Amino acid sequence: MPTDYQIWNIAESFVAGILSETELSDLQQRLDAEPAYSAAFRECVDMLRSLDAAAKNKKLRATLKDIQHGAGKHAIEKPRTIPLRSHFFRTAAIAAGIALLTSFSTYWAINNNNKKDLSQYNVLRRELENIKRSQNQLIKDITIKNTQPVSVVKYTGTGFAITNSGYFVTNYHVTEGADSVYIQDHEGDYYKAIVIAYEPKTDLAILKVDDDDFHFGKSEVPYTFAGYKAGLGSRVYTLGYPDDEIVYNEGYISAKNGFQNDSMQYRLELPADPGQSGAPVLDAKGNILGIVTAKGQQNEGNTYAESSEALLQLIHSLPKSMNLHIPKLNKLVKLSREEQIQKLEYYTCSVKVYKK
Amino acid sequence: MPKTGLTLYKPVDTEQHLLAEFALGERAATEKIYDRHYKILNGWILKNGGSSNDAADIFQESMVILFEKAQNEDFRLSCKIGTYLFAISKNLWYKKIERQHKQPGYLPDNAGSDEGFDKEYEDDINVHVEREMHYETLNAALDQLGEPCRSLLKAFYQQDKSMMEISEEFGYTNPDNAKTQKYKCLTRLRKIFYSVQAK
Repeated sequence: MPTDYQIWNIAESFVAGILSETELSDLQQRLDAEPAYSAAFRECVDMLRSLDAAAKNKKLRATLKDIQHGAGKHAIEKPRTIPLRSHFFRTAAIAAGIALLTSFSTYWAINNNNKKDLSQYNVLRRELENIKRSQNQLIKDITIKNTQPVSVVKYTGTGFAITNSGYFVTNYHVTEGADSVYIQDHEGDYYKAIVIAYEPKTDLAILKVDDDDFHFGKSEVPYTFAGYKAGLGSRVYTLGYPDDEIVYNEGYISAKNGFQNDSMQYRLELPADPGQSGAPVLDAKGNILGIVTAKGQQNEGNTYAESSEALLQLIHSLPKSMNLHIPKLNKLVKLSREEQIQKLEYYTCSVKVYKK
Repeated sequence: MPKTGLTLYKPVDTEQHLLAEFALGERAATEKIYDRHYKILNGWILKNGGSSNDAADIFQESMVILFEKAQNEDFRLSCKIGTYLFAISKNLWYKKIERQHKQPGYLPDNAGSDEGFDKEYEDDINVHVEREMHYETLNAALDQLGEPCRSLLKAFYQQDKSMMEISEEFGYTNPDNAKTQKYKCLTRLRKIFYSVQAK
């Protein structure tokens, strides 16, 4: 065995205590004589003892863990019962009492405040809606009395014919979420209508009267739709149903672009009331320039209208099988304003929307 | 009860004998000490803002301290085993709470601190902490050794395998070769261990 390893051999025997008397005295002599050897020997002995002790420590910990697990199994209930011993009862009772009181009072407080909160919430929602759109949509809100259930609310808007056979246009926001839509024509008769197309972005909806024998007037629609954007300052007028009666208003184009610079809209200086959403905007020669959509917030006469271009886009996107032909002939050109209006009355209607 | 009567007749059932057996690592003695003294500590820890898990951890540490002290053959307890374990455990628990108080976000309350600290056996705990660090260094050095030295030394010291078994398991021709290999490994371990310790 190499001398390097002999030192371990002796150290091991020394630690184990199995050196004989003579071996011990030999070792002692050598340790006294050679300090370097002595230092090395001490390190070796330390090492071996540490290894032994560390191993024992590890085993003890393993044993203790084992005992703990065993103790945990059959003593599992005993430590758990300690917190409920008699001197904890009073504290527990007080705590439970406070908890009970707190929950009851919270329950009462919540119940009491609930209604107030709800109404505040509603107001807030309306505010939000206003901010979101920043423009008042011209829907008239009529609550039906007696004849209809209270939960049913009726909105009214205005619509005008695209074809004499019953296709007409109004605002998307008028028909949005509707359970059913009816129109009331010039004569005061009701007809059911169905939505056949809509475009929320430009706020337009195309509907058809659900009656094959229905016709707006005796002849084809007398106006045409402008495929261009009319100039600033053009005189315009509109016909709508803010009430049961048809109402005439006139004004001018005050800006070429609409709300938030929407190029598909016009900004008008034109008085408009709730219920006139979807009303036609015409120029002096009887061309449809746009559809009244919304009212600005700043001042009274500020109104926005979707342009006829947006409507034409929507019509062109429909399948040809629908047989929706845009009127080509403008019969209003040479007529006076009063004559124009007389004809227009037949092709304009009130739109009534029922929803829950 | 006949059972307790029986144990009473056993002459080894004195504290000093029990401690000696415990020092040898005998499971029966360890279990006896554990069962006798754990419950009291558990109750005390629960009353002082700790859980059963805390109690188990603290008591284990106290047992290790007692064990290390008992390794010294001249060791004589100046008090009962239970008293010693309880005092050490209390001290350890106060130290733990103190450490928690120093952590950020701690909201001070009066739980467990109204009795004040009785720093009994402070030296024993300090020695214990140092010794645990020593063992940690040793284990780290062992892990740095690399194979087959690491496994060989672990087999010999921690798994109590004989040189015969080791020579077979590690493929040495005879136990003497294995022994030479073991000394080689010890030499390397010594170098790593003392260089780490010097730092």
